[in-house]
Amino acid sequence: MIKKLPFTCPSCSGLLQVNSLGCERCETAVSGKFDLPPLAKLSSEDQQFAIDFIRSSGSLKEMAQKLGLSYPTVRNMLDDLIQKINKNE
Amino acid sequence: MSSTATPKPSLYRSLFNPFLHIAGGTALLVGWTAMLLASIVSYFSKAHFDGAIDIHFGAGGKYGIFLMEQFIAWTSVTAVFYIIGIAFSKSKIRLIDVAGTLAMARLTTLPAALIGFLPVYPVKLDDPMLALTIIITLIPGIWMIALMYNSFVVSTNIRGAKAIAWFIAGLLTAELLSKVLLQYLIPLV
Repeated sequence: MIKKLPFTCPSCSGLLQVNSLGCERCETAVSGKFDLPPLAKLSSEDQQFAIDFIRSSGSLKEMAQKLGLSYPTVRNMLDDLIQKINKNE
Repeated sequence: MSSTATPKPSLYRSLFNPFLHIAGGTALLVGWTAMLLASIVSYFSKAHFDGAIDIHFGAGGKYGIFLMEQFIAWTSVTAVFYIIGIAFSKSKIRLIDVAGTLAMARLTTLPAALIGFLPVYPVKLDDPMLALTIIITLIPGIWMIALMYNSFVVSTNIRGAKAIAWFIAGLLTAELLSKVLLQYLIPLV
């Protein structure tokens, strides 16, 4: 089972922060308040879109072909993603 | 669309928003072919698309008039919606998407032109078939407006209330522009 990284609070829907990090080898624990990186704050669908976009060398035409969508549809999806990243920062 | 979830094809999308899957040069080619065919059909059925969203039946004329009406209507909406897109969209829009999807929206003029063959035309005001005739004529008209709206939203990425307001304003402007162009260009045919 792939566990999804939660990025929003199940109680108030606010953005979650990382409170502790642990070393699997020596079990050292680091605690503090760390912000999630911008891409980790996105939904798994949005993250997949960003990965596919990078794998397509940033070509919207290639993305459109892969997804079976039109060029403006993919461009609009990318613009939505940019908006979400800007909002989360 | 607020998520990057890939939209799945459905009958509704195929009929009212095919632009999620087809745009640009392909849509332009499909649209121009449909417009050309519709102009031939309308020449014989005497259906005039004399305005951005107009359809009138009854008067004959040279084939060039029917062809020019199609292209003037399409050019008017393309010019107006592209300017609106450039001015108000936050996305980098392309003329080929606006032109292509709006041409494809005119696919509906093909079934609309066929209506002219119905024996109910020309309609008289006291004809009991008048209501039915109006409904039959409105169906492709409403379908075309729905397609044009979705074409505008997809190609310019203007959405929500802003999209509705600009679409209505754009359509009225395009209607006016098409009437002016028709007045000056039709006598040249």
